[in-house]
Amino acid sequence: MTFEEARDYLLQKARAMGLEVEVLATEHRELSVRAREGRVEEITQARQGGIGLRVVEGGRTGYAYTEELSPAALDWALEEARENARLQAEAGGFLPQGGPLGQHDLLGEGLSAPLEEKRQKALALEAELRAHPQVAQVGMGGYTERESRTLLASTQGVAGAFRTGYAVLGVSAVMRQGESLKQGWELDFSREFHALEPGRTAQAFLQRTGRLLGARPLKTGRYRAYLEPRAFGPMLVFLGWFMLSAKNVLEGKSPLAGRLGQKVASDLFTLVDDPTLPGGLASRPFDAEGTEARRTVLIEQGVLRTFAHNSETAHRMQTRSTGHASRSYNGVLGVAPSNLLVEPGSGVRLEQGVIIAEVMGLHAGANPISGDFSLQALGLWVEGGEVAYPVENFAVSGNFLELLAQISALGSELEWQPTMAGAVGTPLVEVAELSFAGA
Amino acid sequence: MLDEALVSEVLQKARAGGADFAELYVERWQRRALRMLSGEVKEATSGIDYGGGLRLFYGLEVVYAYTNDLSPEGLLELVETLVRLRGSAGRVDEQGRGGLDFRKAAAQGLHAPRVPFSAKDKRYRLERLREAEAGAWLAPEIKQVQTQLLEWEQEVLVANSEGVWAEDRRVRTRLVVTAIAQGEGGMQTGTAGPGLSVGLELFDRYPPAEVGRRAAQQALVNLRARPAPAGSMPVVIGNGFGGVLFHEALGHLLETTSVARKTSVLADRLGEEVASPVVTYIDDGTTPHGFGSSEFDDEGRPTERTVLIEKGVLKSYMVDRWGSLLTGYRPTGSGRRQDYTFAPTSRMRNTFIAPSTTPKEKLFEGVEFGLYAADMGGGQVRPGSGEYNFAVKEGYIIRHGRIEEPVRGAILVGKGPESIRRIVAVSDDLETGPGMCGSLSGSLPVEVGQPHLLISEIVVGGQA
Repeated sequence: MTFEEARDYLLQKARAMGLEVEVLATEHRELSVRAREGRVEEITQARQGGIGLRVVEGGRTGYAYTEELSPAALDWALEEARENARLQAEAGGFLPQGGPLGQHDLLGEGLSAPLEEKRQKALALEAELRAHPQVAQVGMGGYTERESRTLLASTQGVAGAFRTGYAVLGVSAVMRQGESLKQGWELDFSREFHALEPGRTAQAFLQRTGRLLGARPLKTGRYRAYLEPRAFGPMLVFLGWFMLSAKNVLEGKSPLAGRLGQKVASDLFTLVDDPTLPGGLASRPFDAEGTEARRTVLIEQGVLRTFAHNSETAHRMQTRSTGHASRSYNGVLGVAPSNLLVEPGSGVRLEQGVIIAEVMGLHAGANPISGDFSLQALGLWVEGGEVAYPVENFAVSGNFLELLAQISALGSELEWQPTMAGAVGTPLVEVAELSFAGA
Repeated sequence: MLDEALVSEVLQKARAGGADFAELYVERWQRRALRMLSGEVKEATSGIDYGGGLRLFYGLEVVYAYTNDLSPEGLLELVETLVRLRGSAGRVDEQGRGGLDFRKAAAQGLHAPRVPFSAKDKRYRLERLREAEAGAWLAPEIKQVQTQLLEWEQEVLVANSEGVWAEDRRVRTRLVVTAIAQGEGGMQTGTAGPGLSVGLELFDRYPPAEVGRRAAQQALVNLRARPAPAGSMPVVIGNGFGGVLFHEALGHLLETTSVARKTSVLADRLGEEVASPVVTYIDDGTTPHGFGSSEFDDEGRPTERTVLIEKGVLKSYMVDRWGSLLTGYRPTGSGRRQDYTFAPTSRMRNTFIAPSTTPKEKLFEGVEFGLYAADMGGGQVRPGSGEYNFAVKEGYIIRHGRIEEPVRGAILVGKGPESIRRIVAVSDDLETGPGMCGSLSGSLPVEVGQPHLLISEIVVGGQA
């Protein structure tokens, strides 16, 4: 069965059973080429996808999915979803009413180039790195493209589809200077294959990782911190987004609960999510429930303006959905950002402190419920207004909400990175003081 | 799961297209997840994952493709796609003619569930979650209890052009309880999450109320804990999930995935002393019902018990097929993947530090001021520099050899090879715990384990 046939089969069955059903199907295509020592080492090509169901019966919600598109598997999924719905004690669930949302193509011809050109970009990236005297080993250098098509339909009238995708040049390698070893990575994303340049990605890697060679221990203390986008962006998504999700607010897991309209960050801090951003890595015409995309200001000059909602959380908090419903075919309804960005400021002037280039171990060292974090970091010591030397083997700790309140300057340029659920763009963030543990 | 003649045709076609080696992997999963929050089912979901991957070797070059379409047409198209991708049309291997003579191996049921997936209804599962939750309502400070039950049953077939035909069935069950306590210390959490390669008899081995109580106790400890101190100090690491230290600081550095590319600081070190002599480190895929156990790995090779480090000396790496081709080391049944969307790479299974005969109390005796990391969260490592970190979920100050007040928010950071040399004592109380490990070939169930052990000095990240 095709995805369209499976969708129609399920909607028809559900109507006959008197069930409310939302069907979300996603089909992925992926191509990746990895190069090593001047040769293509691994090529992967894939087509994969599945179909997921959200069933509401008597106000109770249940989920099921299948990657096997046979009538027997689809029947099983429908029955399991209904059985799962019946387990829910609490009524009040519903599927939003909707209409036709159209067919959207956000990708166009962006990935259309012959395979040979894609191989050449992977090989060129790896070759350029290998040629550098400080590069000890290239673990991986390569090209990957991903394309997805999402179909959304429900018994409540929602019907739409969109296609999106991106290409990426990526590298992971080890650099050496004497006894000092640093393993770094670089990923360069674009909606257009032709916009990727292996030379630029290689230079970015060499600059970013090379500056950390010869690092010294950092003395334990409290210092001014300059968080680069690669450090601040993931923290913002893992900690900040978690707190802003109305789902977590309703479940009593967010320290921002009850603080709408209050000051929760420095005046300098404005946080926006914009799924309509032209060319945005995570732009989308509508969310996973069919709510049309629009720009949302979450925090404005430090004041918490709104939480991020899907229709279910909005209904329970008596407000409107902000269009942040997320669901993969094998997941449950959640709340996810698209292109999440911190509005840039007037610039940062380095004085004294630590540039945090990257943080590691967020999933273990940061607690989104309390906001507390203690993270391994890589960085550079700044003195007299300039970078003095790289530092290593240290951890940076604090509380994310206190960090937001202590922001004292923001850089003037955004750097974008993809995340698990979307994309995040942030400038350099200066924080008055953070706690550092080292030697 | 698939017709033998079709599998043979697919593999032979690949060989005829010039591949030295062809491997077909197919799987069908059934999964169920239930999440309950303060007495109410929040999410209930079920699913079928179904797909396959075909991997071809041309010397050291690999091409991989995967699909959900396992019909004869779908599979034959997959082979053609791969042969075309490689651009090797034209070269025909004469050996690729005729049928394959498979040596069929089926799982013996070493890790088979006693109470399988279909044996009990969902109400039964809900009742167990309610018991877990009830166990967690220990004190008025406990404000929230979340319980989750995760179950999966995976059928796997791996067949290759060397005649391997291995079928495996893997059943895993995990219960996770998270308790949130609120008080003057803000909001703090505690978790407990036992999991094994068993069915619902997990509840007999780990009574749900007891699991709930453990999560709540940890949340309450963290509520009265002060921020952890910062700086370098001696640390005693608790048994069981404490083994995640070695998983990060040592285990990942011994996978051929990084060893073969020499992006591991422990590459080319066989026979050398790489750890303190009190350290013996073992990766065992055969542990009965271990969370990371299976009868065959995802390359169809029987799993085995691999001694990685014996008394500080490096004895073996963890080797998959590709790693073996690149390095010449013998494969160790370590080829694993999350699912068909990943080609296998060398991965850990159930990895632990062997116990000694020293009682745990001895480890604390000499510590004037240090940290007792009683329970761990996860961590991360960069094999190329050895830099790793991992989080302490429950910690206490050690003062004059005694365990004193609790501290929270500590992480331990270091460089793997250095920390391993600084292990000065290991005790006699080995325990293991389940976890999910993420790497190149996806997220996999593993076990980590260790007895209590003492590290003479390590950086503790806390409040300066």
